[in-house]
Amino acid sequence: MEAEIRTLPEVSQDVLASLRPPSLTPEKIQERLSYIIEKDRVVGDLPRRFLEAFAAVLKHTNYRQVIDNYARIPARCANCACACQIYQQTHDPKDVPCYRSNLLLEVYRRHFTLRGIVEGHLSGAPFLTDDLILEMAETYYHCTACRRCTLECPLGIDHGLVTHLARYVLSEIGLVPRALVISTREQLEGQTRNTSAIPWPAIADTLEFLEEEIKDDKGVDVKFPVDQPGREFIFFAPVSDYLMEAETLMGIAVVFYATGAMDSWTISTEFLDGINYGLFYSDWILERCLREELEQLRRLEARKILIGECGHASRSAKAFMRTFGGGEKAPPVVNIMEYTYRALKEGKLRLDPDVISERVTYHDPCNLARTGWIIDEPREILRSFCRDYVEMEPRGQWNLCCGGGGGTVSVDEIRPYRTGVTGVKKAEQIRATGAHYVVAPCANCKKQLREVCEDNGLDDVEVVGLHDLIYKAIVLE
Amino acid sequence: MLESWIELARGPLLRLALLAMAVGLLRQVLLQVWEISWAFHRAGDQVVPWRVALRRNLEWLLPWRYLQRKERRAYNFTSFLFHVGVIAVPLFLAGHVAIWNQELGLSWWTLPPAVADWLTAITVVAALGLLLGRMVNSASRVISKFQDWALPVLCILPFVTGFWVAHPLWSPFDAQVVYLVHLLSAELLLILVPFSKLVHMVLFWVSQTSSELGWRFPPGSGERVRVTLGKETEGI
Ligand code: SF4
Ligand code: SF4
Repeated sequence: MEAEIRTLPEVSQDVLASLRPPSLTPEKIQERLSYIIEKDRVVGDLPRRFLEAFAAVLKHTNYRQVIDNYARIPARCANCACACQIYQQTHDPKDVPCYRSNLLLEVYRRHFTLRGIVEGHLSGAPFLTDDLILEMAETYYHCTACRRCTLECPLGIDHGLVTHLARYVLSEIGLVPRALVISTREQLEGQTRNTSAIPWPAIADTLEFLEEEIKDDKGVDVKFPVDQPGREFIFFAPVSDYLMEAETLMGIAVVFYATGAMDSWTISTEFLDGINYGLFYSDWILERCLREELEQLRRLEARKILIGECGHASRSAKAFMRTFGGGEKAPPVVNIMEYTYRALKEGKLRLDPDVISERVTYHDPCNLARTGWIIDEPREILRSFCRDYVEMEPRGQWNLCCGGGGGTVSVDEIRPYRTGVTGVKKAEQIRATGAHYVVAPCANCKKQLREVCEDNGLDDVEVVGLHDLIYKAIVLE
Repeated sequence: MLESWIELARGPLLRLALLAMAVGLLRQVLLQVWEISWAFHRAGDQVVPWRVALRRNLEWLLPWRYLQRKERRAYNFTSFLFHVGVIAVPLFLAGHVAIWNQELGLSWWTLPPAVADWLTAITVVAALGLLLGRMVNSASRVISKFQDWALPVLCILPFVTGFWVAHPLWSPFDAQVVYLVHLLSAELLLILVPFSKLVHMVLFWVSQTSSELGWRFPPGSGERVRVTLGKETEGI
């Protein structure tokens, strides 16, 4: 291990020597961050391992140029604090986005820039401590990486990126929420190849059951295509949809039926889970998940990747497919709402305006709306058949996060935080609309919003997917 | 005695300060350009929205983006006025242009004196406003570091003294002392530019692009990190 350290150019021996002796036991870490895994179980010794991991990440990735820039320019104007729903809820200085990002930037400045190293020498004080690392592990999972604050920063500092990077480095030393690791391990290295550990036969049963349901409800024969080669789309939904969001899946299937395109899509039996927790905490995982998708696309000779109702699965595929799929040669990525929208525009969808009489509102998943990718399409679809459609404020690019972004929704241990802090503003927003249906086209948002409504006394609200309502209203002949 | 100090500050010191700033900024720019090109070269996805990034920078230079939003509107607009002043007065005041002319042999448009006076006053008031804004907003107060307080104060000095240099009758202090303070404080600021957050005057232009490139990963980087850390055989 010693030799290893010396081959890393960025951490100097002096810096390592100046670190405090280890003070934490795995038990102490568990006690403070019960949902965090400290996998390697190396007692203490976190600072050294953190710096090594940070050095390795800086060496092989493109983060250095951006955090070097961020470390030099911050105006500390606190514009970002006004945009962050967490800070607005807690008014805790530690929740100011710039403060949080500065934790990592300061580690960079102190240990990876010439000036910082010299300063560290002069002051003689060790900078990176066990406590600081635990503070980072905690606070970077308080941020939901919704990137709303980024819209407000005059200097263009992307706190979502800093949060992602910090979590990445932390994950390389084993500090990462257990829920995320366990699901990812099952998805990429387990038997079932999906995050919910559902074996294929169970999924096949579900699909068969859904086909019967559609037959009963709509009187048509709709088949879920499985392992069909040469199709236009290969379909990846968050696997939890197969367990919990049957109506979303049925809605998607009937849209294909209505467009006469039943033979244009397929599901892969080998890998069907669109979830990509790598977007939340690890470039390594992100790449592996996307490579699995590419692999299935090749195996089934499909031409495009179609992602179901899921924000992060869509963004991770859309934003990074070119990176790992060979730039220009990468397959196009389409979100199901874009497909359905086109069908509507082409006049292929008949949606009965008398079915949904309750008030409907739409929640923008951050990963779809923040960059302005998908904002108007679902609204137009909803307005075309929901008589009482209302908007939340703010919305679109400026939407508020559901409060469970960045993978935090999967961490059940922090539910009180998610529904009592990060989700409170969302609850108020939903209450103000008076809507019965909150349409949230994202598996993560759906789970979070249901919990938010439950914990904030919004008992009459029903959180559904876009295709759930389409399923109810669609007219098939 | 004072005269020789003034001579020193006007001539060699000024040149030194300008040179230090220029070299420091050039170094920062070159490093950043090099880092950005390296990042671009490694990125698996080389479609970078350069223009969008530049447009976002420009949007933040002009006030109407934040004038449309009510949060921090006054603070941001004050900041806008402040920036107009700190850029325009040093560059376009007639007395300064004369110096640039003498030092660099270049000459350009100058501010009418009355406008320069008003701009100076606005800059000072805006700087005080920014400090006040920083103080009353609890979020910015807690994240502020020493330089966030010190730099606005240091910016006020050359502006106030400069005003007195132009209008000696308004000045409560000895004209030569005022002039010397004006020169020295301005020079200190110039020297500090590359070493403080003032460096945003050049790095600001690339920060949006940098952010975009930060998300453009080099393919295989995750695996290489694992190898470097000796964890290539380890599972998730
Ligand atoms: S908006 Fe940007 S510059 Fe201002 S405090 Fe936040 S991160 Fe810093
Ligand atoms: S990304 Fe979202 S949660 Fe995180 S600091 Fe920014 S606004 Fe707050």
